[in-house]
Amino acid sequence: MAGLLDQIGLGGGRIVMVNLSSAMGAQFAEKVAEMTGKVRELGPNPLGRLESLPHKKMEVEG
Amino acid sequence: MIIAEQKPLEEIVTLLGDARKALVVGCGTCVTVCLAGGEKEVGILASALRMKSKLDGHPMEVDEVTVQRQCEWEYVDPLGERLGQYDAVLSLACGIGVQAMNERFPDAVTLPGLNTTFLGLPEEQGVWEERCQACGDCILGITGGVCPIARCSKQLLNGPCGGSQNGKCEVDPDTSCAWQLIWDRAVKLGRVEQLLEIQPPKNWSKSRDGGPRKIVREDLRLVEME
Repeated sequence: MAGLLDQIGLGGGRIVMVNLSSAMGAQFAEKVAEMTGKVRELGPNPLGRLESLPHKKMEVEG
Repeated sequence: MIIAEQKPLEEIVTLLGDARKALVVGCGTCVTVCLAGGEKEVGILASALRMKSKLDGHPMEVDEVTVQRQCEWEYVDPLGERLGQYDAVLSLACGIGVQAMNERFPDAVTLPGLNTTFLGLPEEQGVWEERCQACGDCILGITGGVCPIARCSKQLLNGPCGGSQNGKCEVDPDTSCAWQLIWDRAVKLGRVEQLLEIQPPKNWSKSRDGGPRKIVREDLRLVEME
């Protein structure tokens, strides 16, 4: 997914996956703080709001 | 099943050129199962194209549709009337589906979004391996169900070669030696004698060497009564 965001031009750094168990509260808070700082550094989403990208999803018979 | 993988986004964007409105068409059969061109992948790619085109400064409208099978007329025909509104159609089917779309709808430009890669199976989740080359003359009956045409790098009919090392192929150490697999299977089945018979050269005219192939089943054809 990070690779796709890079290809789109949004920046793969905007997403990260971390495996944590429910007993790892401190590490969770640490990762969230880390990611929050990273996203702030990257700045606002350059796309703005997705509602401005109209499209249709068709259904076909059969 | 047919295994395929999506082309890089940059290549797809180049193929679409200056199209302002495009339709991404998925296929609900093989490429859905190998996670390359089903409804889910259509949605992801269409979103990616919408976002990228907007970021690149020329927003493209990208609609989505997935049909059950792009390789059969009855499933693609319902698309016909709707294609006229698009500058380009991007097919996420195998090469057969892309050609079916172009053949059925010659006024629309249908482009390939996938690279059709081989006939194979998922060895494990996320790993696909080739198993068949559709050679037209199956020899699995004498090789214990392991195909040396698709799985031996040299397509040997009498193997293994000297490059078989510790059960692996000299071309790629991650690839199992097909002839080692064939031998192990013969030992297990008690059919080693069968492998000692020298196989004659293969008749490749039944494969691609004989040109494009066609099967006609007269018993199945719909013939109009006179």
